Amino acid sequence: MAEDMDKLYSERLKRYITANRNEKPDRVPIRPFAAEFTSKYAGFTSQEVTHDFEKAFEAVRKCAKDFSWDATVVNMIYVWSGLVDHFGQKYYKIPGIELDPNVGFQYFEPADEEGAFMKEDEYDELIDSPTEFLTNVWMPRISNNIVAPGQPNTYRNNMAWLKGGLSLMAYGGAIGGANEKLKSECGTVSCISGPIKAPFDILADKLRGFRQVSLDVYRQPDKVQKACEALMPYLYMNAKVASDPSKQVPVSVWLHRGTMFSKDMYERFFWPTLKEIIIKLWKEDGIQTIWYAEGNWDKWLKYTAQLPEKSIIYHSDKGDIFEVHKQVGEKFAISGGIPNDLLAFGTPQEVREYCKKVIQTVGKDGGYLMDASAIIQSDAKIENMRAMTEATLEYGIY
Amino acid sequence: MEENRAIYEALVKFNEKEVKRLVNKVKEEGGPLEDVMNQLQDALIEIGNRFEREECFVPDLIYSGVIMKEAVAILDPMSSYKSGASKGKVVLGTVYGDVHDIGKDLVAMLLANSGFEVIDLGTNVEPAKFVSAIKESGAKVVGLSCLLTISFKAIADTVKAIKEAGIRKSVSIMAGGAPVTELVVEKTGCDYYGKDAVSGVKFALSVYEK
Repeated sequence: MAEDMDKLYSERLKRYITANRNEKPDRVPIRPFAAEFTSKYAGFTSQEVTHDFEKAFEAVRKCAKDFSWDATVVNMIYVWSGLVDHFGQKYYKIPGIELDPNVGFQYFEPADEEGAFMKEDEYDELIDSPTEFLTNVWMPRISNNIVAPGQPNTYRNNMAWLKGGLSLMAYGGAIGGANEKLKSECGTVSCISGPIKAPFDILADKLRGFRQVSLDVYRQPDKVQKACEALMPYLYMNAKVASDPSKQVPVSVWLHRGTMFSKDMYERFFWPTLKEIIIKLWKEDGIQTIWYAEGNWDKWLKYTAQLPEKSIIYHSDKGDIFEVHKQVGEKFAISGGIPNDLLAFGTPQEVREYCKKVIQTVGKDGGYLMDASAIIQSDAKIENMRAMTEATLEYGIY
Repeated sequence: MEENRAIYEALVKFNEKEVKRLVNKVKEEGGPLEDVMNQLQDALIEIGNRFEREECFVPDLIYSGVIMKEAVAILDPMSSYKSGASKGKVVLGTVYGDVHDIGKDLVAMLLANSGFEVIDLGTNVEPAKFVSAIKESGAKVVGLSCLLTISFKAIADTVKAIKEAGIRKSVSIMAGGAPVTELVVEKTGCDYYGKDAVSGVKFALSVYEK
């Protein structure tokens, strides 16, 4: 790596880590979670970057260079259609196949009990052995290629396991290389490791489906709770094994359904197992977690505030970032909060003003990382993304 | 009087078994089915009001809708929900490029439970399909749903197509879904920001009550 790039990377890594620890770096780091914006800027369709992850990495590098990003996700368009195809996954809709070539991949959730990947009477099986259930029951249901144990084997089944496994290795290995290139060519830090979800979200998103789990919390609440408890150690381990060995880059938890429930339900189903994972990662392993609060999580701030100091970086989406700062800013670093509708429809001047306001309030004592509220897709105007960078470089210096 | 509200009380407490037991009892005894329907509808309205006050939540709307459906099936297994005269027609769909349907389905369910005839176009709906559905049905309200910020463009494209078809003045357009805001509604040329499913129903009611 060229010496100046090495120096740039070291400065940025230090800036990123310092801000994550809720301390004051030399400047507010720019750390966007950018998805389809990167492909639009680099001149690729969503179809191209979903089918060819090298193009996706290249698009991120182009943005990282041109917008001076200190840290970013190496590929936020994380679904690779090759992997989806080899395993025969049913739940992703892919641009250029089921979707317009210019929109990003999407998760498609079964709408009813008949389509659910886990049935209402299968809680005990999941609770007894999540691994066996996922391998023997869930995988055959979410795949067009895999057959359940006890069913006649097929060539397609054998190839799905073989090609799927090889694809996982290929993609995983390529991400390592892409991280290195992001470092050596752009001086930019790959900003997350070990992405996970809350146990309840795994149940609601990938197993039962939100509509079905909404009935389960009434009809069989004990089983819902036990399922979350059973999934908890696996999610903790998922984060831990994929975390940064140097413990500098945080893992991330992508919070999803928690805001849709009542206080009693949040307290019972969502919070206890999630809290335990975060505390364990921090206290036992020294690993921070990016708390990606999708939607408006303000009503649960008093729970989040119970987590150990510095254990998370609170990412604010549709919540009131100024309120988030008031309530938890002493304990945790905060990121995000630049509205996506402003990036899509506002003027560069409006974006600059908003970024300035956030920097000078939320970021006034350090512990703030510049980013949009939600993941940045192709609706964000290029000039507004530029304004975000310029405002940070101008107002974000301490 | 108290006895007559038992179904209402059971539903607002999300007591599925009790609702089914009571509805079965009325049916067996040949009681007034209209009264059962009124109680069920009143309960859903009350749950909607509680949702607006943040005393009820999305799973409560889903669960009460399911209980309602089960109760109606007991009363009249041969038909889906019947509510007498329709309050009006609403065209609904998730805009082009977006395949998410939970929010849209919830609005459809609440609209149907409130007596609207819903023309549900599904997801990933092209602007032209919205236009022809509005023309064919004569609906005065159209609801555009989305989950992704990339859908802002599809919302604007749909509004544009409605304008170009010359039917903009005859239809009120509401937009909703996680990334939608007042600013999105303003910039895409819609009439109303449906911040949640219940407010979408209230908007449809307000249009047809004009």
